[in-house]
Amino acid sequence: MEYRTTGFNGYAVQYSPFVNSSIAVGAAANFGLVGNGRLYFFDLTAQGIVAQKWYNTQDAIYDIAYSEQNANQLIAGCGDGTVKLFDTKVPDYPIMEWKEHNREVYAVAWNLVSKDTFVSSSWDGTIKLYSPERPQALLTLPTHSCTYSTHFSPHSPSIISSVTSDSHLRVFDLRTPASASNHLVHLIPIHGHAPQQGPSYNPLRPRHPPSEALTHDWNKYRDTTVATAGVDTIIRTFDIRHHKHGATAHLEGHKYAVRRIAWSPHAPDMLLSASYDMTCRVWSDRMATPNITPGSHAPSQGAELGRMDVHTEFVTGVDWCLFGGQGWCASTAWDERLLVWDARSVMNQR
Amino acid sequence: MANVKERLSSVLGHLSPAGSGSAGKAKLLQKNQDDIVITFAARTPLTKAKKGALKDTNIDDLVIALLTEVRQRSNLDPSLVEDVCLGNVLSDSGGYIARSSVLAAGYPVSTAASVANRFCSSGLLAIQNIANQITAGSIEVGIAIGAESMSTCPDNGAPGWLSEKITGHPIASQNLQTMGQTSENVAGDFGISRGAMDGFAARSFQRAEKAQKEGWSVDEIIPITVKVKDSKTGEVVEETITQDGGIRPGTTAESLGKIRSAFPQWSPSNTTGGNASQLTDGAAVILLMKRSKALSLNQPILAKFAAATVSGLEPRIMGIGPTYAIPKVLEKVGLSVQDVDVFEINEAFASMGVYCIEKLGLDAERVNPRGGAIALGHPLGCTGARQVVTALSELKRRGERVAVTSMCVGTGMGMAGVFVSEH
Repeated sequence: MEYRTTGFNGYAVQYSPFVNSSIAVGAAANFGLVGNGRLYFFDLTAQGIVAQKWYNTQDAIYDIAYSEQNANQLIAGCGDGTVKLFDTKVPDYPIMEWKEHNREVYAVAWNLVSKDTFVSSSWDGTIKLYSPERPQALLTLPTHSCTYSTHFSPHSPSIISSVTSDSHLRVFDLRTPASASNHLVHLIPIHGHAPQQGPSYNPLRPRHPPSEALTHDWNKYRDTTVATAGVDTIIRTFDIRHHKHGATAHLEGHKYAVRRIAWSPHAPDMLLSASYDMTCRVWSDRMATPNITPGSHAPSQGAELGRMDVHTEFVTGVDWCLFGGQGWCASTAWDERLLVWDARSVMNQR
Repeated sequence: MANVKERLSSVLGHLSPAGSGSAGKAKLLQKNQDDIVITFAARTPLTKAKKGALKDTNIDDLVIALLTEVRQRSNLDPSLVEDVCLGNVLSDSGGYIARSSVLAAGYPVSTAASVANRFCSSGLLAIQNIANQITAGSIEVGIAIGAESMSTCPDNGAPGWLSEKITGHPIASQNLQTMGQTSENVAGDFGISRGAMDGFAARSFQRAEKAQKEGWSVDEIIPITVKVKDSKTGEVVEETITQDGGIRPGTTAESLGKIRSAFPQWSPSNTTGGNASQLTDGAAVILLMKRSKALSLNQPILAKFAAATVSGLEPRIMGIGPTYAIPKVLEKVGLSVQDVDVFEINEAFASMGVYCIEKLGLDAERVNPRGGAIALGHPLGCTGARQVVTALSELKRRGERVAVTSMCVGTGMGMAGVFVSEH
């Protein structure tokens, strides 16, 4: 199924966590460089994708997140640094707005456990925590680096993570005291730790220079597994308990930067990615049968299960449907299209 | 606030991955106005200490001779040279010599001078110091010169009066070991055989001999005129020297195999006078400025200085320093060893030379293609600059671009630099 978001280039897509036929898209005019944003609410019907409502914003919309509390509500992160809360019962304008960031807001995420808070992250190098009941942000977490992506752990209400242009995965735990570290509990170099001198030193090991990290996601089944991806085209999985030796798995194949990744809500090893190379790819990190050489710290190699190459421009958003068929998913791209498709169909092709 | 340009450059940044080696190379080869470029690079002939034509030339006369040549040949108003950094190890009055020699070589009082000393990397450190000053905006034009007169300045090793905190320290006390001992440590620890070392040394001699015969090194060398005292008659004559003096034509691994061990007291005693660097006199010079400056002054751009770094390691195996410094500097510029066209790795000892090539997985054909310090000699402070001069000449001859220069450093360090030829 397909819908044309004419005049607006897609940036983010999400299925409703409440209604299996509802889907939202955040989009921006002129590829998000300048001009308005638009938030779409769609219904998936027997007659195709039907736009129920849309809202125009002053500046581009770069990310969206459905409320986990209220089926009618959704937050959007905007180019002008604002975070807006929309309610489909209220036409035309957002019901709340937070102006906390100095630069483009590139990510928003709702707390999946306590369901009463949400976060945003921005090019201004901060993550902000909000309650929909409060007019100001509750907390600011600094990353000091352009923060392209932030999430809550799906397993804990107090764990917030981010990836940034400085090539690091950060994990914050709000249960720790607000000391000088600002709740930071893990700072993981995605490109790998610096080599240590000693007997295991190998100057020929594959080296990856730091590169901007654009997206990450928490595994929905393995509570310490996070996947990251970005400009160097490699999707990596990390176990945040053991990251001293680097990533646990590498999923390699995208030709250009990876813009968005999402773990499957149905299968613990399955992941969907969207890339500037105009494809969406389905992967397995093969952690059920890891092909790791004993004694080696080299990451295991994941497998590409299939790819969807219908988009004709940069693919910026993907999401899995939480209900119904286990492969249902949606993607949005700069080609002004929302595509709803079944990952199983592209997997069967290979 | 909606800054279109910044949003666009953000997206463009996402599309140019610095990840793969070739992309790193493409980025390295880019020419930008604020690049630090080399507009003049040359060296004196290298001659054997105590025997060669430079044996009676003190360090100051050596520096003056080469700096005078730079002033005359570079077609650059000397008053534009704001600072000169002298890489030198053994002279005990470097500070006096550097500034005085600059003035005596015909530079105006406004040209400053300093000394850089990190043992065998001093020449490269001098280049890095000048480049960093230009990058930081402290100066616009500077000269790095590496020079050593091993004939007139003896290397007496670590001083005898070192603190007990050093001599009693498990690692710092390793610095009491002589360089020869560290060579045997490398051979012993990593199982480098005498045969492999002699083979490496023979190749150095053969390559240097070929480079000299074919005239490849002619454009590296500026002939200089010096006074030489005849050792028998005591008569002093002026002589113009044009050629390196350390090369022994016809050297083979077999002939080197007959030389007896230089350090029978330290196992495995694989190091000999034939497979270690020679004691030598010589100097090399590099003139640096920003590309924008070079273009405005109409100076010829020979090459670009891309990066340099240093790494420490245990002093007792200081020879393997390049295996830390080279990967470190390559990571900084996003290159893999396969992207490098020519390596100039100082041959302090064949033991470390063999180890570094093996450990880094280098193509031996690309390492020291004109021979190294075993054949040409190792004037300590000069070597770091000399290797850059040699690498740039070789890149030009081959029509290639990227050189990495590296050396092990006494007291346990390695330094490495990346240069891009723009011939």
